[in-house]
Order: sequence, then C-alpha cells, then structure tokens
Amino acid sequence: MTSETPVPDKIEIPKKKRNFGDAPIHISLLIIGIVVSIPIVIAFFISFTPLPELVGRADPKILPDEWTLENYDTAWNASPFPRYMLNSFIQTGVITFAQVVLSVLAGYAFAMFDFRFKNLLFGLVIGSLIIPFELTFIPNFLLISDLGWANTYQGLTIPFLASAFGVFLMRQFFLTIPRDLYDAAKIDGASDWYYLWRIMVPLSKGAISALTIFSFLGAWNQFLWPLVITNDESMRTAQIGIRFFLVNQERATDWGAIMAGTVIVMIPTLIIFLFAQKQLVKGIAASGLKG
Amino acid sequence: MATAAEGTTQVPPKRKYKRSANKAYLFLLPTFIILFLFIYYPIIESFRLSRNRVAPFGNQEIPVGFDNYSRLLQSSDFWDTVKVSLWFMVGTVPVGIALAVIIALLLSYPLRRLNWFYRTLIFVPVVISSAIGGVLFRLLYNPVVGFFNHWLSIIGIDGPNWLNDTSYALVAVTITVVWRQLGFNVIITLAAIQNIDDTLYEAAKIDGAGVFARIRYITLPQLSPTLFFLGVVNVIISLQAFGEINILTDGGPGRATTNLVYQVFIDGFVGTRFLGRASAQAFLLAIMIIAISIIQFRGLGKKVHYQ
Repeated sequence: MTSETPVPDKIEIPKKKRNFGDAPIHISLLIIGIVVSIPIVIAFFISFTPLPELVGRADPKILPDEWTLENYDTAWNASPFPRYMLNSFIQTGVITFAQVVLSVLAGYAFAMFDFRFKNLLFGLVIGSLIIPFELTFIPNFLLISDLGWANTYQGLTIPFLASAFGVFLMRQFFLTIPRDLYDAAKIDGASDWYYLWRIMVPLSKGAISALTIFSFLGAWNQFLWPLVITNDESMRTAQIGIRFFLVNQERATDWGAIMAGTVIVMIPTLIIFLFAQKQLVKGIAASGLKG
Repeated sequence: MATAAEGTTQVPPKRKYKRSANKAYLFLLPTFIILFLFIYYPIIESFRLSRNRVAPFGNQEIPVGFDNYSRLLQSSDFWDTVKVSLWFMVGTVPVGIALAVIIALLLSYPLRRLNWFYRTLIFVPVVISSAIGGVLFRLLYNPVVGFFNHWLSIIGIDGPNWLNDTSYALVAVTITVVWRQLGFNVIITLAAIQNIDDTLYEAAKIDGAGVFARIRYITLPQLSPTLFFLGVVNVIISLQAFGEINILTDGGPGRATTNLVYQVFIDGFVGTRFLGRASAQAFLLAIMIIAISIIQFRGLGKKVHYQ
C-alpha cells in the first residue's frame, strides 16, 4: 500500500501489483458503503416483509422469508397517502418552477444590466442567505394565517417562490457567457427578452438543471414549514404525512407499512440521485470549493 | 428609476444603462417581493414580537420591552436548551468531519473498478430528508424489531433503550444527523482533495514521504480551508436540527433532546402559544447563526466582488 499514490496517474502500473495493493481499499470502501447505505436498504426489504413475519421472529432479519406487496397496499390505501403525494408534487412543482424562472430573470438583471443600487440589491440577495429560517417562520406563519392561507397550496408555496441561491448561481453562470454574443444579438435587433430565453437559457442548460435539482430536493424535503402551516390532513405534504403515519402505525407495530410509506416518500429523491448523481455531486462540490 | 428619462439626453454608453435600468428593476421585482415579504420584513416583525407578550391566537399584544429576553436569560429551562444545542454540536461536527475526511481519502484512491458503486452507496444520504432520516433510524433504534441492539448483542453488548433513555436519546439523534450529513461532507471533502495540485505529492514522493506522511503534511494542510468551511456549515446545520428530533424523540425523554429550535417550536406551536417568548429565543438563536455565517461569508463576499 505504501508504494501506491493517492493521486490519479496516467502511468501504467503492472496489473498484478496494482490489484494486490487495491484490495484493502476495496474492502474498506465496501464495508463503509454498506454501513452508510444500510438504513435505506433495510427500509426497502422491510417494506416487502409480511407483518406476522416481522413481529413473529425472535431476531430481526433484513431479508424477508416471503415477499409481499401488502404493506404498500396498507400505506397507500389505509391513509391519505395518494393525497400527500399529490400535495407534495404540486408544492414542489410550483416552488421549483418559480425558483428557476425568477432566478433566471434576476440573475440576468444582475449579470447584464447596469442600474442604480445594483450592489446594494445584490447584497440584499446574498445577505438573505444567512438569515436562518427559525427567525422568519413565526412572522411568516402569522402573515400566511392572517391571509387565510393556512392549509392551502398558496401557504405551502408562496414564501419559497424566490431563491437567493438560485439568483446567485444564475448570475455567476450568465457572467461566463461572452458579452460579445449579447452585443451581436443587439445589433441583429434582438430584444433582451428574446436574447434571454432564446440564447442565454439554452446555453445555460447545465446551470439551470442543477438549480432545478436543488430546488426540487429542497422543496420536497421541507419539514418545519409544512408541519406548522398545515393541520388539515388533506393538505399535508408527504414528509408530514409519513410523520403522522409513523405515529399511528407504530402503535400497531406495523413497520412493514411504515417502511412502505417511507419508500414511497423517498423514491422521487432517490430517482434524482441515481439519474442526476453527477450533476448533483458537481453542484455540491462547487459550493465547497467556492467557500 | 427616476433617472431613466433624464438619461435620454446623455452620452450613448450611459443612455444604454439608464434605459435598461427599468428592465432590470422589472426582472428583479418578483424576487424582491418574495425576499422582502418573507425574509426581510419578518426579521423586523420577529424582533417586534419578541418584545411583546402575545396572546395565544396572536390577536392581542402587550409590549413588555426586553422582558422576554431577561426572563429567558434567567430561566434554567432556557440554559438547558442551550446546553442541548451545544452538546449536540460537539457530538455531530467533529465526528462528522473526521469521518468525511477518512472516507474521502479512501474514495480519492484511484481504483480502476467499482469507484462509482462505492460513491453511490456513500453519497446517498445527501437526498434524504430530515423526516425520512428520523423514520429510518426510529426503526433501527426500536427495541423489538430494530437492528441496532440486535447487532450490538452479536458482539456481546446489551444495547440501551435508545430513544427512551435520557442519557442515550441525544446520542441517538446525533448518530442520525451525522449519518444524514455524511454524504454532503464527503462530497465536499473529496472534491477538495481532488483539487490539490498533483505536483505537491510528486515532490513529496521524491523526498521519500510515505502515504501517511503525505496525508499529514500535504493533504490535511491543503484541506484546511475546506475543513473550516465544513466546520462552519456543520455548526449551523447542527444548531438548526429539527426534523430528526421531532420524529425520533419529540424533544424527550423529559427535555433531554429539546434544543433551542425545538423549544421555539414548542413555545410557538404546541399547546398554548407563547409567540413572544418563541420569537425572543428565535432571535437569540439567529444572532448566533448569523455571527457564524458572517465569518464564512467574508471569504465568499470577496470573491463575489471581483467577478
């Protein structure tokens, strides 16, 4: 192992020697990988385990003896799970769409225009990033309640329609697009509106899809706000639904159904993780390298 | 905005700015309406509420000056929640970062195969919500069907009743939050390790430095800005832990896992509402978090300026 280097190198090392040295790394990473992912893996297996098997056996087992879909039936039908999921998709869809569009607009303004108070306004956008949610959610709760928007989609979405992070991200990206392109488009008579949506946006697919992923995950995984702003069962989001489902089913020790519900709630985020992992990881890594 | 009309008489480059200024304000308007209504106005409102005693339905307010604050600072309950927050921070941040460094070092090793597979297994908590994290670990901690105590019994340890034991509940929440943060921490650390200039390692190798010497004298010093960043971010995240506590312990047993955020939630939203007191605590918590953020943002701010 000591003969190896932790940096990638292009020089070919005789295969035998290399594979031999790799073994401890492979084993360590495999063990760590299993330990880290096992809570999620267990959830999947328990969700397919029949209830009698789960409470009947002396020691907990990860794999079911007999596979069943009954738990999904319980989770989906014995509680308003379809409604929770619908609420979450509406809430997340609206927030994601609005955050992307508003960030593109504001990012464009900061990147392309010169105007009075530009620095002050940009400072206000960046400054809002350090305001913790704990400080704002009580007044927001009172405001939304006064407007009669508790237990509504407006109440779930409107406070989150803008994203300071998104504005910053889009501005940074737009700044990397050569100014000559803008001047050329202007000479050809393109309006800012046309230039933004027909030229800048198609050129910014990477940044926009990264922002879409982050907005989606952030909205889907919200907990404190939907918890306080909804008390009507029909307006709960999936995260709040699973919380109350847990409380109910735990009394009946129906862990199979709880885990089926859990799998349903985390599936959209896991799909994003599996299919957009590269982009997600790149986005997170960039935030670290900047800091 | 008033300068737009006057701009038409100016020299060309300036005129271009002034004309587009209105467009700029229009593009910014929706974002700023939301930011002002739901972030900036609430700061002022929060401070105002914190100096009032608010009737449970929010319809009657009696100004009491800084009474809420002085009562808080004198109450042992408040200091208990501060203690829980700090213990929680001490439990999550160093462990979380140390694990991330070890795992990222292993992942940075240039394996030929299965690299993507290990990364997938290790990064996955990054998309898991606090609620789901709480539910997953609630199963693991369960004394009957759960796995933790079963695994511990295999190596001969009689596991505690994690969530109902005052001395273990906070540990249980800590483990859950460390797990959920791990993906994020590893991704950031790994990116920073891969960003280190290769020539540094080559030079050290020529000097005869072994793997551990290279980690000790090159990797870790080069990582220090990243570790600082991670420290700040993780401290802020640990101070804001809420979802896991709500689902795993509901702040209990007793008040063993009631941190500041959880107390704000209890005062503001559980049973009789004490919005004034809740706001005062939120304000104290926010000052802590903002102070920590500013330390980090000074670095980012400089970069923003020169772009």
